[in-house]
Amino acid sequence: MYGGDEVSAIVIDLGSHTCKAGYAGEDAPKAVFPSVVGAIDQMDVDDNASTENNSGSALDSKNNIRIIDSDKGKGKRKLYVGSQALGFRRDHMEVLSPIKDGIVVDWDIVDSIWDHAFRECLLVDPKEHPMLLAEPSFNAQQQRERTAELMFEKYKVPALFLAKNAVLTSFASGRATSLVVDSGGGSTVVAPVHDGYVLQKAVASSPIGGEVLTDCMMKSLESKGITIKPRYSFKRKEIRSGEFQTVDIDFPSTTESYKLYSKRVIASDIKECVCRAPDTPYDEKAYSNIPMTPYELPDGQTIEIGADRFKTPDILFNPSLVQTIPGMENFAEITPSLRGLPQMVLDSINKCDVDIRRELFSSILLAGGTASMQQLKERLEKDLLEESPQAARVKVLASGNATERRFSSVWIGGSILASLGSFQQMWFSKSEYEEHGASYIQRKCP
Amino acid sequence: MDAKDILGLPKTPLPITQEKKPQPKKDSQRKPDGISREVYALTGGLAPLMPSIDVSQLKKRPPAVEKISWEWLPFTSSARKDNLQLYHWVRVVNGVPPTGDYSFAKYNKSVNVVKYTDEEYDKYLVDSMWSKEETDQLFDLCERFDLRFIVIADKFPLSRTVEELKDRYYSVSRAILIARAPSHADVSGHPLVKDAYNISQEKERKRALCMVLSQTKQQERKDVEVLAEAKKIAESRMIARDAEQSELPVKSNAELESAEMANVPGDVSPTSNVQFPSAEVAPSTLASLRMLHVYLRTYALDQMVQAASSSAGLRTIKRIEQTLQDLGVNLKPRVPTKAVCAEHLELRKEILTLLNLQKQLQYKEAESSCFRDGSYTDIPGTPTRSHRGVDLDRTFVPDSMGFGGERVGKRDQKRKGPGRLSEAPSSPAQSKRPRKLKASDL
Repeated sequence: MYGGDEVSAIVIDLGSHTCKAGYAGEDAPKAVFPSVVGAIDQMDVDDNASTENNSGSALDSKNNIRIIDSDKGKGKRKLYVGSQALGFRRDHMEVLSPIKDGIVVDWDIVDSIWDHAFRECLLVDPKEHPMLLAEPSFNAQQQRERTAELMFEKYKVPALFLAKNAVLTSFASGRATSLVVDSGGGSTVVAPVHDGYVLQKAVASSPIGGEVLTDCMMKSLESKGITIKPRYSFKRKEIRSGEFQTVDIDFPSTTESYKLYSKRVIASDIKECVCRAPDTPYDEKAYSNIPMTPYELPDGQTIEIGADRFKTPDILFNPSLVQTIPGMENFAEITPSLRGLPQMVLDSINKCDVDIRRELFSSILLAGGTASMQQLKERLEKDLLEESPQAARVKVLASGNATERRFSSVWIGGSILASLGSFQQMWFSKSEYEEHGASYIQRKCP
Repeated sequence: MDAKDILGLPKTPLPITQEKKPQPKKDSQRKPDGISREVYALTGGLAPLMPSIDVSQLKKRPPAVEKISWEWLPFTSSARKDNLQLYHWVRVVNGVPPTGDYSFAKYNKSVNVVKYTDEEYDKYLVDSMWSKEETDQLFDLCERFDLRFIVIADKFPLSRTVEELKDRYYSVSRAILIARAPSHADVSGHPLVKDAYNISQEKERKRALCMVLSQTKQQERKDVEVLAEAKKIAESRMIARDAEQSELPVKSNAELESAEMANVPGDVSPTSNVQFPSAEVAPSTLASLRMLHVYLRTYALDQMVQAASSSAGLRTIKRIEQTLQDLGVNLKPRVPTKAVCAEHLELRKEILTLLNLQKQLQYKEAESSCFRDGSYTDIPGTPTRSHRGVDLDRTFVPDSMGFGGERVGKRDQKRKGPGRLSEAPSSPAQSKRPRKLKASDL
């Protein structure tokens, strides 16, 4: 046989933007949903919320209503997980993200996300399946122990393994040694992988990720006078056949965070459709006359986007461009210390041992949602060729299929890993956990 | 005939249309279930009354000896230290699950890392730069990571370079191996003993590699440019050096005057016979001259003359020579010393300039004359224009006057030159009207 052995493990990748979950051995995750939750604080709106929920659940049966007792005894909080639950507007619903700067800050939310994945999306009982979780490349020891605790105590999984994102991406492309550039929603991480292990001391990260780019796009459009209306705030009525009129609906008790979240969804769609990485560093004058691309907003407005198409992706390469966008001042404070993407790649490689540098240069992998932007690979290659040594051959690789790359090279790597026959000896099992404690995970999952 | 009887065909040959009807009957008889027509034909063709082979039997598989089923069963692996039981699909034969270890357990290989006891450490392995804890940690990591030193260096809590770690590991292993061996001869074949780890060499190699890799493309380009420049400078220096080498007195100058201009300096060498043994043809003259380290001033002068007059055509060169002869100057200087040659060259250049300017003047005069002739249909201009025209005429006159003969004076020519050029564009346009006025006035 080819080296695989199906043990029906489950692979979960909780990213900063989306969570992917599915069975090992398959080529795509079954469940993909945003990794933010809507939370209604139960204290204020007890009866109202419950009546609304009743009517809401009639409409949308996949609602996941869970009452969770948080550790600090704040009171009950209803969490709504999943794209369908989030898409439905509710009064007083705050949108919260469990991950800040790459580390988990709110374990309840993580718990609810996992629960949603198991019970609603995959319909499995965690007791029967070993779990492979993908974690950020610079995860702290404490976080890993907490993860292990949660998994073993609450979900009673038989076995667990925590794998680093960079390693999984590397395996997904069939290489044991490579430099992984993971440009996801919350941050961009450049991590070298050698022989299947991440070289921690050479990992470089920057907070500029897809969400920052979305915000820039949003602020830039707003400064030009275009207002993005969230989907819930209008209704289109058909006055005559084929003609629609937009009617604004006002929901005064919608939270700001939900409004922002809905706007972000639209802005990120604009960004994905329209943005392209420029071939040369962005120059205001050079791009002031390029033709505009039209884009139709959900409320029927058609907007023209010109120089922003190229300006926004160039922020990855030149973070100081953020300062030129009005409204992004709070972010602009930290940009002087940030380096562009090619610089991060070079810094990371130069921190590694000399012997492997050549190999790292010739296998640079792109992963993550933001990395699937058009022309990003070509631009990165061009920039790196300028600065890289003569003796090394620079090659930037990205998996061919854009959907594959954007969602799942980490997940696919996990799927491959968990279904290998020779991996089955590496699980961190429940008995080991009980024997040695959670700190043993450091040894078992390097 | 019998066939026809069996098939039910009429005995007489029928037209084609009628034959079609019995054909479906034939087909239904021929077409077997389950096997192709050709295969069926192998068994004897058309069906006899009793089929000799049961068609359905041909497709049946041979009855399996065993009963195979797939089951979801737990398994253990000897590669694991605990007794974790995972489940997988197993091919069960006759209700008996397969025995034996997990098939992938045999791939669990690891490196044999030397293990030392504390006494051995104290006896053989004490080192000034390494403490016991560090060494222990190192060996622990080596075992966990199967001697992947780069990863070990990454995980090592204190920052040590890969070479240092390797050095420590190999020297410790070597010492232990030698210490444990009953005699040195047993282990001398062991690779650890034979080739010791040479840390200084490794460091040097890495440093060199680092330098190679740190040269970026831009630096590479600059290097290439600098090298090209250096080459050019070296070459030009060589030429200059050849050129300024021994200034041998050229004895037979008298003969040189009779020689032709420029292109055959090879002839010069036989005439000045004493110094130059070889009489080469023109293309290799330069090489021969250089070889002999001789500076032939006439040759150099010819080169310079050629360079100076390269912009002009052959006719111009001839005219220059004509001018020179008219002036009473030899085409080639009689005594080609440095000063004389310089002056000669200067003269040639001035004559060239003179000729060019003369040509230009002729052109302009031709233009202006044809404008003058063709301006009768124009509207007369304003009086202001006529003033200007008069001025222009005045300026014209001194020009033509000053330009008398072939004077070699520089200054007039130079003044004329730019003055002409600036006036020339405006004059034809404006000279139309005043000229006309003048003509009409006259």
